[in-house]
Amino acid sequence: MEMAKSPLLELQGLGKRFGALQVLDDVSLTLQAGEVHCLLGENGAGKSTLCNLIFGVHAPDAGAMRLSGQPYRPTRPADALEHGIAMVHQHFSLVPDVSVVDNLLLGQSRGLLRRAECAARMRELGARYGMSLDPFARISDLSVGERQRVEIVKCLMREPRLLVLDEPTAVLLPEEIQALLQVCEKVAAQGCGVVLVTHKLAEIRRVARRATVLRGGRIAARSEAPARDLDLLVRAMIQRDLVDPNETVPAAPVRTGPATGEEVPAPALMVDGLTVRDAQGMTRLDKFTVLLAPGEIVGVAGVEGNGQVELAGVLSGLMPATEGRFFASGNELTGQSPKAITAAGVGIVPEDRHASGCVSAMSVAENMLLNRLADYRRWGLLDRAALRRDAQELMRTYDVRAAGPDAAFSGLSGGNQQKAVLARELTTPGLRFLMAAQPTRGLDVGAVEAVYGHIVGACQRGAGVLLISSELDELLKVAHRIIVLYRGRIMGQCEAHASQRERIGAWMAGHTQ
Amino acid sequence: MNPTTSFLTTTMRDQRPILISLAAVAGAMLIGLLLVAALGVSIPAAVAGFAEGAWGSPYALAASINRSLVFALVGLGFVLADRANLTNVGGEGQIAVGAIAATAVCLHGGVAELPAGLGFVLPMLAACIVGGVWGGIVGVLKVKVGTNEVISSLMLSFIGVWLLYGSVQSVALLRQPMTSSSTLPESLEIPDATKLPLLTGDAGMPLHVGLPLALVLAVVVAVLLHRTVFGLRLRAVGLNALAARKAGIAIAPSVVGVFFAAGALGGLAGSMMLQGEQYSLKAGFSSGYGFDGLVVGLLARGSVLGVLAGAVLFGFIRSGGINMEMVANVPSSLVQVIQGVIIVALAGSARWMTRSGGAR
Repeated sequence: MEMAKSPLLELQGLGKRFGALQVLDDVSLTLQAGEVHCLLGENGAGKSTLCNLIFGVHAPDAGAMRLSGQPYRPTRPADALEHGIAMVHQHFSLVPDVSVVDNLLLGQSRGLLRRAECAARMRELGARYGMSLDPFARISDLSVGERQRVEIVKCLMREPRLLVLDEPTAVLLPEEIQALLQVCEKVAAQGCGVVLVTHKLAEIRRVARRATVLRGGRIAARSEAPARDLDLLVRAMIQRDLVDPNETVPAAPVRTGPATGEEVPAPALMVDGLTVRDAQGMTRLDKFTVLLAPGEIVGVAGVEGNGQVELAGVLSGLMPATEGRFFASGNELTGQSPKAITAAGVGIVPEDRHASGCVSAMSVAENMLLNRLADYRRWGLLDRAALRRDAQELMRTYDVRAAGPDAAFSGLSGGNQQKAVLARELTTPGLRFLMAAQPTRGLDVGAVEAVYGHIVGACQRGAGVLLISSELDELLKVAHRIIVLYRGRIMGQCEAHASQRERIGAWMAGHTQ
Repeated sequence: MNPTTSFLTTTMRDQRPILISLAAVAGAMLIGLLLVAALGVSIPAAVAGFAEGAWGSPYALAASINRSLVFALVGLGFVLADRANLTNVGGEGQIAVGAIAATAVCLHGGVAELPAGLGFVLPMLAACIVGGVWGGIVGVLKVKVGTNEVISSLMLSFIGVWLLYGSVQSVALLRQPMTSSSTLPESLEIPDATKLPLLTGDAGMPLHVGLPLALVLAVVVAVLLHRTVFGLRLRAVGLNALAARKAGIAIAPSVVGVFFAAGALGGLAGSMMLQGEQYSLKAGFSSGYGFDGLVVGLLARGSVLGVLAGAVLFGFIRSGGINMEMVANVPSSLVQVIQGVIIVALAGSARWMTRSGGAR
């Protein structure tokens, strides 16, 4: 009998440890040419680390890898590339101020730049995989989805045998996700192996030939038919049944306004005609007005780039408003410093965690209590023990998984970083209003649920919540009311109910009807 | 974790950079000796000259230590600003304006008659304040108009140095009244009561009260950086100013404050040079101490102990080098070369120092 052809990639008992944290332990996996293999797991389960081992970013502490039957021991990404392995990282590595072709030529050219040749090749690849891209567009002018396409084209140009995609869909719009999955299928159909890291069940159902679940750095489940085994996979991922979110997140009571006779509480947030014009005089946010009652969650829907960043910037005190005012619990906060805004009981979960949400080079404890450091002063000195103790408590309450309060924040997975930031903002003293911008972006199912739970918890304790999100499903599930932004203007608002989905969709696309 | 064991493990981990630094310095010295030999000077003579100047007599030892104090103070100021990711290269100017202020107060402030040591304390205080304001200007420019602090502090250094030069040119300012073509442009000697008291009481070993003061300040800076909320906030500001601002940390006062403190340390260094060593202000007073102090701070890589070690090293090299030139005819430029080699060797070995913690 003929021996079966050796698999494209074999991982045998891989282990990796970072300091005290065993990130991967005895991970074995095989991947055939021409298959899309989904790698699932909660944040911090070790998916990114596994990809990095395959791509030669880190070396494993234990175990071995084989590529088409041959021993494969990359010591740096260049080795992986040489072996025909290409990877798209979670964070893009593109030079923003130059054109797409120039970015593609960066790693590949010697001597003269053959731009025309490269552009032609790009167009050919684009036609083959159904990805349109202008080779001479500047990266900084491209949307996130287009930038990712550039990264993928960059990989495909090398004609890889194996393509590793680390959570590629976390930053994409629904249509873009569909396009990306199509590309995956086509790439696999050409005989290339694809490793796709994801949290999203719909994607697994759509493209996965096989799937592997990681939990706590170990293999928790495997499936040869992921579409059929979906429930099993999810259970393995979070080790408990995914409860119907509508049970954990209590349905929003329909608000008919406060009962008469009672004293009307000050609105958690009152925004009056907030307008932001940029340096070029373009109106980015146009007379945004909203009234948020205590205990109410208002969702701000809309395709990204329609004024959400400006709204969040002004409310957090990092961006000046051109016109308009806003108040939290009756205190005017227009133009106040972030410090004053925090002191007024406003919590802010920023969209770009790395830009303004955390200091990655500091410890978990320092980050979680960054806005309250003054409380840890004892005889003029910093009370590190208390800081550590309180951070540990917060980490337990908010399920932030790290080696300890002194661990480097940068070592945490994205989901745990987000939970840490959320924990800090939700425990803002005297919290009256919380603004959360894209709080679940890139998080896995379990973490998303936890974030919803905490946000709903805050609202039950009487805080008003403004939830800015590009995921409509998320808003429909959690919010009481939805406001749709389009080109900086409020296109419409309605109760957050699934029956409104089409109306909201039309508003998001700019139709008034 | 038990704090004692954590302290111990930290100390053990800290040993590796120290060993590497020592090796780098030794290597640089070796290269220096080869250069000396290449110049045709006998190596034993050069080494003897160096040793004599650096620590050969109580006087030489004290002079070396006094030089080290100046480097240490400027280096501490550098490390302080560095914590907030700010680079203070203004030590030279801060020394100069500090020295001008101290001279003015010593000569014309009427402090010599004051009791209880105020005679020497007040000029130092004045130097701190003026140096602090000089440094604070850098912070204000940075916060208000976004001027790069490297440029502004460097330019203010030149302004400071030339202000000093100008101030000893005119009798209306600080120049001594008795001038002739033979007297250098310099101030009168400051009154005895304003000179820093000697620790030994013996002019043969002129160690002054600046030594304990600098050590206390080193401890204060170390505590400030590592054990206070202020230090942690500075760090947050340095690593991610936007996130720090978002978390309610006031950026502007931190930046201005840290530059004021760095400037004050520089000014204090200037007053110590005047009141503890030179006793009169003259053109060329600061002679590059501020820039050497900056290098000390740079090489210390944020560690106060590193500043002290670097300061001692540079202080002794400078003293030894001067004597080597006089006794063994080794040109002082060679000492500069050796100093440069040390800097390059130390900076280059930083790569192995950071790797000592294990791969991450």
